[in-house]
Amino acid sequence: MTITLDSRTATRTKIGIREVSRVFDSPDGGPPFVAMDGVTLDVREGEFLTLVGPSGCGKSTLLEMIAGLTSPSSGEIVIDGTPVTGPGLDRGIVFQQYALFPWRTALSNIEFGLEAKAVPRRERAELARHYLDLVGLSGFEHRHPHELSGGMRQRVAIARSLAFDPDVLLMDEPFAALDAQTRESLQEELLTIWEKTGKTVVFITHGIDEALYLGQRVAVMSSRPGRILTTVETPFDSREGDLRADPTFGEYRHHLWTLLRPETAGPTGSGRLRVVTHDG
Amino acid sequence: MADLRIGAGQRTAGRTGTGTLAVITSERTAGTTTGTSFRKSAGRSLQKAAGKALRNSAAIVLLLGLWEALPRLGVVDRVFVPPISTDLAAWWDLLVSGRLTEHFQASLLRSLAGFGLAIVLAVPLGLLIGWYRPLNDFLTPVLELFRNTSAVALLPVFILIFGLGETSKVVFVFYACSWPILLNTISGVRTVEPLLIKSARSLGLGPIRLFRKVVLPAAVPTIFTGVRLAGAHSILVLLFAEMVGARAGLGYLINDAQAGFRIPDMYAGIITISLLGLLFNLLLLALQRRFSTWRVS
Ligand SMILES: Nc1ncnc2c1ncn2[C@@H]1O[C@H](COP(=O)(O)OP(=O)(O)OP(=O)(O)O)[C@@H](O)[C@H]1O
Ligand SMILES: [Mg+2]
Repeated sequence: MTITLDSRTATRTKIGIREVSRVFDSPDGGPPFVAMDGVTLDVREGEFLTLVGPSGCGKSTLLEMIAGLTSPSSGEIVIDGTPVTGPGLDRGIVFQQYALFPWRTALSNIEFGLEAKAVPRRERAELARHYLDLVGLSGFEHRHPHELSGGMRQRVAIARSLAFDPDVLLMDEPFAALDAQTRESLQEELLTIWEKTGKTVVFITHGIDEALYLGQRVAVMSSRPGRILTTVETPFDSREGDLRADPTFGEYRHHLWTLLRPETAGPTGSGRLRVVTHDG
Repeated sequence: MADLRIGAGQRTAGRTGTGTLAVITSERTAGTTTGTSFRKSAGRSLQKAAGKALRNSAAIVLLLGLWEALPRLGVVDRVFVPPISTDLAAWWDLLVSGRLTEHFQASLLRSLAGFGLAIVLAVPLGLLIGWYRPLNDFLTPVLELFRNTSAVALLPVFILIFGLGETSKVVFVFYACSWPILLNTISGVRTVEPLLIKSARSLGLGPIRLFRKVVLPAAVPTIFTGVRLAGAHSILVLLFAEMVGARAGLGYLINDAQAGFRIPDMYAGIITISLLGLLFNLLLLALQRRFSTWRVS
């Protein structure tokens, strides 16, 4: 499989995140809780961006704001230059916990988004079957979520967000619950789909390897209050062969690891790696 | 989870009921357990199921055996507890004479009318209250007050307003059935997994479709738990009403037989009512299972 990252040269901004902060009221009437402070980040059209950061730094919150499920406390998020005011079918989100509808079968879960898009019934079933097949679950059409394993549920969730063909795919640690083998095959699958469709992908992960392997760019967030520390362009032009065995891969991994260490508070020196800070 | 809810509901039933009612309620719980274990055995081999059925009925056979033997042996007074064979003979006579059918029908119609009315009115009302938060906040204190007021305590009020006829009994059953349905419907709507709502909203669903496609199906099992509880209530409270003042019905039959010292007839009435309760519960259980297959047990 060869994936050429030719869209790197494209510079049109798909998702613009401008000075976004998110403050939560504390339930006990204490001081408000600043989850995220002044996040600025541009996601390019057709880009595969991975987002890493310590637990609780606001990655999921940021993704939900892009999805339009919650609004920033201050700042602005724009998609194609238009401010986000609510959810829409131009964006598909895969939640950290598989959010399938337990009373619907795998197939009809995938159809859900298509119903929202008013796709005719027959076409709906066909499309749903196609995507179920794509995530390797043909034969499980009529299973309910509780009859599927965790990994299978997550695959249904992925198929559901792919099926209604959104421009932007927002994925919140979608492969975290999978075994290594399934994860790798789904990673490849996702890259293939991305390459074929040219979707813009924002992909949250805890795995540095995964972030490097999938992303054209890795955005690193700091711990609370969440900020974008830096973004790191990955140097790989193709995913051919065992990328993870490449010495450069190891260097980048180490660099990201250093950035994510709890002691490392601010943006660290870049060493011999090309590091692009978001404001630089 | 379903069982937990049922448990919570039973507690409500116990609180609403008087002493007598509470006893009958626990009988109903036993019925529920039998139903659950029956479902589990269905998946196993037929032989195991047969063995289970034998073991289940063994207790019944033992009970009937004791009921027959103890009065005959003089351990209990056979005037007050006639052997089961005598009671069944009385039951048969009542059936043949057509009197049992008449009382049975009277009771069934009243409880079905009240129960049905409660479903038709309490489910939509519960959906409304559960969905509109301000309405829910506004009504919660009143609902709490009423749910903690025993329906039985209000029977004299219903009789005062609607007289001793059919209306007061149906209204009474309706009232008693409404609470479990209403409260379960409200909580069913309010406790829909927020992530599912988020997920549906992310797919661009507006409030109406969100309600129809997510909230309603998610709430169905909880609503059904309420309906099942109400089904049990409908018979319990009706029996009470018929004992207080009626010319027909199984409650009347039992009370009248006791007053006239036709003790076997009294037991015949009791047997009929417990069979009716069992039947009702099994029917609703089957219906509930059909509507919530997706719920993890
Ligand atoms: N609805 C909410 N109310 C109050 N605080 C919230 C809410 N949602 C999130 N938070 C807080 O905001 C912070 C960021 O949460 P978020 O879920 O975005 O973290 P995350 O980076 O996705 O973490 P993880 O990697 O563990 O998934 C957390 O400290 C969390 O406690
Ligand atoms: Mg998260």
